[in-house]
Amino acid sequence: MSEFYTRYGDGSPTRVSADEMRRDLEVGTNDAADRGKIPALSQSELDHLFDICTRPDKTVSVERGNEVVVTFDAGTLKLPIRAGVPMDRSSAILTHERAFCSDTMELAHVDYSYKQLKAIIHEETAAMEHVQLNTIIPIFYGAMPNLGLYTKPDGPIENWSELLPLAKISEAKAAQEEAMEHAIKDMVYVASRMYEAGADGINFDTVGASGDADVLASLKAVEILKNKYPDIAIEFGMSGEFILGMHGDLFFDGKRLAGLYPHQQVKVAEKAGATIFGAVINTNSSRTFAWNLARTVTFVKACTEAASIPVHVNVGMGVGAIPNSNTPAVDAVSRADKALVEIGKADGL
Amino acid sequence: MGGIRTAGDLVARMQMAKGMKIKEAKEYVAGKLGISTFELCDEAVMQEIRESLDIGHVQARDGASIGIQAKFNIAKLLGIDIRSVENFKRLTGLK
Amino acid sequence: MSIEDIFLEARETILQCDQERAVRLAERALAEGYDPVEVISSGFSYGIRQMGELFGRGEVFLPQLIMSSEVMKAAVQILDAAIIQGETTQYKGTIVIATVEGDVHDIGKGIVVSLLKTQGIQVYDMGRDVSTVKIIEKALEVKADIIGTSALLTTTLMSQKKLEDELRKNGLRDQFKTMVGGAPATQRWADRIGADAYAEDAAEAVTKALLLLNRT
Ligand code: B12
Repeated sequence: MSEFYTRYGDGSPTRVSADEMRRDLEVGTNDAADRGKIPALSQSELDHLFDICTRPDKTVSVERGNEVVVTFDAGTLKLPIRAGVPMDRSSAILTHERAFCSDTMELAHVDYSYKQLKAIIHEETAAMEHVQLNTIIPIFYGAMPNLGLYTKPDGPIENWSELLPLAKISEAKAAQEEAMEHAIKDMVYVASRMYEAGADGINFDTVGASGDADVLASLKAVEILKNKYPDIAIEFGMSGEFILGMHGDLFFDGKRLAGLYPHQQVKVAEKAGATIFGAVINTNSSRTFAWNLARTVTFVKACTEAASIPVHVNVGMGVGAIPNSNTPAVDAVSRADKALVEIGKADGL
Repeated sequence: MGGIRTAGDLVARMQMAKGMKIKEAKEYVAGKLGISTFELCDEAVMQEIRESLDIGHVQARDGASIGIQAKFNIAKLLGIDIRSVENFKRLTGLK
Repeated sequence: MSIEDIFLEARETILQCDQERAVRLAERALAEGYDPVEVISSGFSYGIRQMGELFGRGEVFLPQLIMSSEVMKAAVQILDAAIIQGETTQYKGTIVIATVEGDVHDIGKGIVVSLLKTQGIQVYDMGRDVSTVKIIEKALEVKADIIGTSALLTTTLMSQKKLEDELRKNGLRDQFKTMVGGAPATQRWADRIGADAYAEDAAEAVTKALLLLNRT
């Protein structure tokens, strides 16, 4: 029996037989189909995935002509902060443009939440103006809605994470509704200023990290921004594969937000006026790469089919079938990219 | 796609400016450049085009447009408004 | 009422968050002479684990999960009283739980805590970003049976290993069972660092905790 070198969702290497690989692909796609109530992948798509997973090449690539564009989240946090390269943000952006040849880039602050940016907005707009003089590629400005920051002890509002375990449900819901009002104001304010300073796009990153209220606040902010600036480009990047119901009774466009999966999330984002949708599917660290990949591609395919706007799939550590490890292996990353584009029909990554 | 080495930034701009999906965005850009979508990612083809249209390239050569200058040309080429270009015009009294 | 019917109805009361019916059912099960332990484990606990699973699929939401755990607590209180004849504060065990140092992700840990509490386990929730030293101090102070840690970042995962190392270094490893969780943790990781259990989600965390306490 032939053995294929592959990995688990935490990146640790393993070898599996062809039968095991095929079984994991099938179980993975069925898991997505069952959870999302969407079609599973067809046999020929599973065969294509099998081929991608089992190629002997260390890295693989999309076929010529299938290339897609990339956008970044936490753009300027990567080189100067996470990689510890002592360079300023505009050098980081130019390195991306001129050396890495990224299609786009994002200016971001270490304190990556809209709430925190209010106080330093003038420094941030100045940085954007400066960066725009020197760059050719489109530059986003990005941050997280991060609704949790509006609660005690970081903010003025009662903390629903504390209220919920005490079964103070109506209080927890009221707190979330109150936090939304503050968050919307901050997102609209910061995004407006950055757009006026020349940002080519605004990235709402990790939408939903605090649950459904976080999503509703972001949708409303997009709606307001789009009315104010019809030409503004907004990327709406999610935080998880389904919207966590911390509130449970929040609606947008008549749809309950809690529990929506990517193919449903993209429709509300579109309705609010988002330009690009950032789909997220979580990686399960315990399962194999094949299982995670089949599952992710199934969700992504349903999402791109439902979408009228471009979908950029989030392929960072621990999402988009990428192993949840600090140094995701290139064999897995390149395979995930190829599969997401060729079978998932992603418009970008 | 390869950013300014190829036509990655241009295709990204069309997704951002008009919400075009990848296929449509590539077709739009290829149409403006007079090449096939297949050639958009070809470094050799694109180097020549980028240099002749003066829309910026990876090589920092003297006399070639960089930064905001290249974006002036990109905005005209693609028929879109670029915010920083509009700001430049406003601040310099060009508009 | 047959025991099967009791089980089914118990699960239903949890899934529907119907406290009144749950309490009545618990009383009735006792009156009809059924084993309260069985009614809890195959009835109510089963229901709450189902709720946990539905939550994990985005089909029920946090407020419902919390409400159903309240229902569970009310029913279990009645049944527990019969198990230990009047002593309502007898716990099946004590767990100290925390999100490790450098990590502020506490949503998942909070859900684990809520479900553990429904199972008659005494839970000391130390919150998030808690150092290994503090966790061990607390565990010693409250004579915990289990130490549970949550890590959501691949960079903070190492703290789960650090806990094992510190316990061993200080000759404390045999005093506690350890349990690890959070998205980057796996059974393989637990085996590698020598933790006693790993759970993928809150429902499984309950099962594993009860196993560690020999109280399934
Ligand atoms: C919410 C969230 C946040 C929130 C946290 C709010 C809060 N109060 O918790 C905020 C916005 C603050 C945040 C910040 C950051 N985050 Co964050 N965040 C997430 C997110 C979107 C969801 C996590 C979550 O709550 N899941 C839902 C719960 C229910 O699931 P769970 O936590 O896995 O818990 C279940 C099980 O694991 C298990 N379990 C959990 N704990 C325990 C414990 C025991 C003992 C047991 C047995 C079981 C168990 O049971 C739970 C219930 O079923 C994930 C992405 C994702 N989709 O997973 C990223 C993610 C975890 N974050 C990530 C990152 C990078 C960050 C930041 C560094 C970003 C930044 N630059 O600021 C910071 C780090 C802050 C810090 N120092 O910790 C990365 C981690 C990547 C990596 N390599 O590790 C992720 C994966 C996103 C990504 N791919 O980029 N984040």
